Amino acid sequence: MTPQGHTLPEAPIASRRLARAGNQLPTSVRVKRLAEGAVRHLILLVIAVFAIGPLLWAISSAFKSDSEIMTGLNIIPAHPTLQHFRVVLEQSQFVTWFKNSLLVAGGTTLLAIAIGSLGGYAMSRWRFRGHALYGNSLLVVQMFPGVMLAIPLYLLLTKYHLIDTLWALLVTYLTFALAFSVWMLKGYFDGIPKEMEEAALIDGAGRLRILWSIILPLARPGIVSVAVFAFLLAWNEFFFAYVFIASNHNFTLSLGMYSFIEQFSTQWGNIMAAGTLATLPVLVFFFLLQRALTRGMMAGATKG
Amino acid sequence: MQDVVRVRRHPTARRQDTGKPSHWRKNAMAYSLILPSLVFLFAIVFYPLATGLAEGFRYHSRVQPWLTRFNGLDNYVQALHDHDVWLALRTSLIMTVGIVGLSYLLGLVSGLLLNHKFRMRGLYRALILVPWVVPPVVSYISWQWMLNDQSGLIDVLLVKLHLVDSPVLFLSNPRLAMASIIVVGVWSRFPFMMITVLAALSSIPDDLNESAALDGANRWQTFRYITMPLILPVTVVATLLQAIWTFNDFGLPFVLTGGGPANSTTPLILLAYKEAFQRFNIGYGTSLAIISMVLMLLLGAIYLRLQKKQGVYQ
Repeated sequence: MTPQGHTLPEAPIASRRLARAGNQLPTSVRVKRLAEGAVRHLILLVIAVFAIGPLLWAISSAFKSDSEIMTGLNIIPAHPTLQHFRVVLEQSQFVTWFKNSLLVAGGTTLLAIAIGSLGGYAMSRWRFRGHALYGNSLLVVQMFPGVMLAIPLYLLLTKYHLIDTLWALLVTYLTFALAFSVWMLKGYFDGIPKEMEEAALIDGAGRLRILWSIILPLARPGIVSVAVFAFLLAWNEFFFAYVFIASNHNFTLSLGMYSFIEQFSTQWGNIMAAGTLATLPVLVFFFLLQRALTRGMMAGATKG
Repeated sequence: MQDVVRVRRHPTARRQDTGKPSHWRKNAMAYSLILPSLVFLFAIVFYPLATGLAEGFRYHSRVQPWLTRFNGLDNYVQALHDHDVWLALRTSLIMTVGIVGLSYLLGLVSGLLLNHKFRMRGLYRALILVPWVVPPVVSYISWQWMLNDQSGLIDVLLVKLHLVDSPVLFLSNPRLAMASIIVVGVWSRFPFMMITVLAALSSIPDDLNESAALDGANRWQTFRYITMPLILPVTVVATLLQAIWTFNDFGLPFVLTGGGPANSTTPLILLAYKEAFQRFNIGYGTSLAIISMVLMLLLGAIYLRLQKKQGVYQ
């Protein structure tokens, strides 16, 4: 049941030995352990600051006045202001972009789960001819440079009047999310014993019915990982959006952010306020699902 | 179902009855299940890819569309003699090796440090993962601002601390621009490497380390002869994937430096984009993208082979 239930790393031998030995350890060893712990915290602290520093700085600048932004080095704004947020929300189409991003990311997520679970189920339960070909073509998609696909795809989408619409982004993101979705869900389905299905089959239930009411509920952690992955992919993508979308009212947040560099040039407060608003949903999403996500990433990482 | 059960029990056994005509009927359900994803795969990737490949062997400029014609390998001959292409290839290599190598190193250090149970482990892990979720455009713009020489945080700090007399031109000096791109690339990619390392570490049985300790191995020896050999095969796949993504990464150089100053941070993929979309040389631009793709497919072939090998051991 748990090929992908990679439990988080176990306590390593050193700390367990410490626990076992308790206070009987000689003082010198205890001091050494203590020093080791301190060094570990110190290094991790430096890495963590490197990781979140830029984001913290951006968020803090969003709340600073223009004069403070240019000179202040403090992370907590001296005179917090919502001025920049007001400018962003009132003088740009930020709200529209936000809605567009939500639509595209939400649609990509739902379809990636729906279509991906069908493909994953087929890969998990049948050894059909072309099994490996299908799986490998999904993976190989990751290797094609976007620039290569963008030109012909642009022409194709123009032909079907999908260019400069959110549909163009939805179908593109969906296709790129499918590789992860199919493989991830296949892995989860593999871990679900077949006996339950067999019983249902004998009772006359159809395959889709079984997938929906037996398999999917059991694969919930996998679905969460796929959802997070697909949502992030669609929410964060920039290149295809930049090539496909021209109208301001069809921008996604990434595009809107990029256009801010021109619109507000060096008004960093405004840009950072927009960035904060664009990051907030994924950050909330991330911290809510952090555990499931980490597990999913770890399972995915070891599987490739 | 019978069939499925048998195959599942012997995953390595080859099918005996592949020649029977009933194969298609028996697997009709499977084929209809993969149909929706196949439709998208073909419409969005394989069909455009095929037409795109044809572009790479054409003279096609949007400025003179009437001159469009098949020109064989001319684009590639031109690329061979194009100084910009060689420069871009060099840039791609430096960026990819620098970013992937350093993020592996940093991911390894973070992963090893976090592979112990201690208070705040979850907090550290969550914080370190943050760069992975922030929209790349937002983080690149934030970095651009921090590295900027007018009011950027880093220069303001350096000057205030009297480490430098005048602001350092991080983004307008070719070498520093390249270094900046690598730092930002490492920042955005090392969290993924850390998770990969953690996943690999979690698959090492504890008794291995224990017996090594009993045998008198010190920590470095345990790491060198037990930990590293065991996590290397698992992480190598993720590393290759990272290399492919980094090589194809358009957003980082485009947003952070725009490829400048003077093309010094323009990797091959950005050059292909500029040729096709800014200079309207669709044919030539595509041929550069094809070169980049062929290089990545070589890496990809290694990736698939490694994955297959890993599958055997799992």
